[in-house]
Amino acid sequence: MTISKEELDLAPAVREFGEDNNLDLSWLDTRGEWGVRAEPSKRGLTLGDIQLGSYGEPGDHSDNMTGRPRGARARNDAYRVGGYKIRSKADIWLSNAHVLYEESLQRQWSSATDVPWNTIKPLPDDIERAQCQLATFLTEVEFVAAEVPGRWLAATTPDYFEPRMFLISQVMDESRHLDVFRKRAFANGGGLMQRPNVTTSGTVGSIDLSNDFTEMSSRLHITGEGSVLTIFRMGELMAYNEAEKTIYRLAAQDEARHVAFGVMHLRYLAETEPERKEEIHCYLDEGEGALVAGNQNPASRDTAQSEALAILLGGGEKNFDEGYRKLMAVRKRQAREYVQRVRSAGFGERFENGRANQELLAYTR
Amino acid sequence: MSVIFPSLNWFEELRNRFNSNQRDNQVGVGTCDALVGVACGEKLFTVQFEAFECTNVMELEDESALENTDFYLELHPNDWKDMIINIKENNGAGLSFTLNTLDLELSDGLAKSWTEDQYRQDLFFRFNQTFQYFFDASADVETVFEEMDIA
Repeated sequence: MTISKEELDLAPAVREFGEDNNLDLSWLDTRGEWGVRAEPSKRGLTLGDIQLGSYGEPGDHSDNMTGRPRGARARNDAYRVGGYKIRSKADIWLSNAHVLYEESLQRQWSSATDVPWNTIKPLPDDIERAQCQLATFLTEVEFVAAEVPGRWLAATTPDYFEPRMFLISQVMDESRHLDVFRKRAFANGGGLMQRPNVTTSGTVGSIDLSNDFTEMSSRLHITGEGSVLTIFRMGELMAYNEAEKTIYRLAAQDEARHVAFGVMHLRYLAETEPERKEEIHCYLDEGEGALVAGNQNPASRDTAQSEALAILLGGGEKNFDEGYRKLMAVRKRQAREYVQRVRSAGFGERFENGRANQELLAYTR
Repeated sequence: MSVIFPSLNWFEELRNRFNSNQRDNQVGVGTCDALVGVACGEKLFTVQFEAFECTNVMELEDESALENTDFYLELHPNDWKDMIINIKENNGAGLSFTLNTLDLELSDGLAKSWTEDQYRQDLFFRFNQTFQYFFDASADVETVFEEMDIA
């Protein structure tokens, strides 16, 4: 909405005072689009509600190196304050980052007070050790998941603030996951177990070596967090009290948001820069290899984490085989969900042309 | 007053209880925008969530209408009955009857996508607490179960 020139001149008394006292009040006339009145919706006043006029969707490229808020009038002599490497929209954009950001703010929870810690009672030793092994693994993995997005925050132009702010919320989510699993390890007479062999020095660690945001996102949000989401959901099957059940259920909600960010970013990229699809397929090749082998996926085979999961799912060491059977069923689900997410992101051709990892596909059958 | 499950009346009653905010449903929830299908034997329903409310429930005549849902929840009628009874007994789903647990324990899952769009199906995970609180509200509903011709 715009208003008339007369309405714009809101401060005649101030102007008169300025002229009388030789004050430079020219700043009153230097502004972005004026007369904007955002209306709250039934969801409150959201970022979506203020995407109005020239303040709405940004351009495909940004030359904003000064930290200028999107839509604010530029100051010609402003100096550069940011080393914004990400200034092409397709590099980071998705159609609903503002929705996911609001969702994240609303669904925050406290590991200190929202988890009924008093429901944790002494557990058999093998169960407690298995819980602590898994907690050790997740503490480390979530540390990485918080650290990696953090590196991209200061690299993103303020013009693309919606995905940038979502990433800030993800850092908060992952920090909470780190702290809640650390708390679980110390809550019932156990402690941290041995650090897994190659967690952050394997594929998980390589996420942080990404030179490109989409490279990072495909590894972190699609292959990495997609598989951790399954683990969190599975947590409800191996919870022995309401506290553990609450932890896993709330963490799964958070993780699903992060996965959604990755899917929608890949979808945007596939639609706007299809020439980069081959590059993205290469990242997915790597990610799929990691999904079927190695310590970075706790639902893979023959690792300390997978054995801990089998013990928890089976109800103790003596029921290991039953637990392992359940683990393989969950792994099948994990693989199916991954395939459908990649299809949804616009890269489903890899499952038709023989490119996808065949061992991974075998799990889906 | 008791209402029959599955029926449109039952879902309307559930919607009223959920929207009444009388239950403690604040942890880990927020706005939720999703169209959720419910399949119980031959009976099909949709539940519309919008912002902070459940805004509409409908009974479907044709299963092809599930195509419009983000995902749908399908259980054998006996399993729906067990879940609702468990919620009543525990004033909320017990450890073995949460939506997520049921989803994992069934070989084909509880939450399904008619269109196989995982992004839309993932709404089941993103808003899981909201959906759980919705069905937990059935603890306040006097439910009687329709005798269904079930295998």
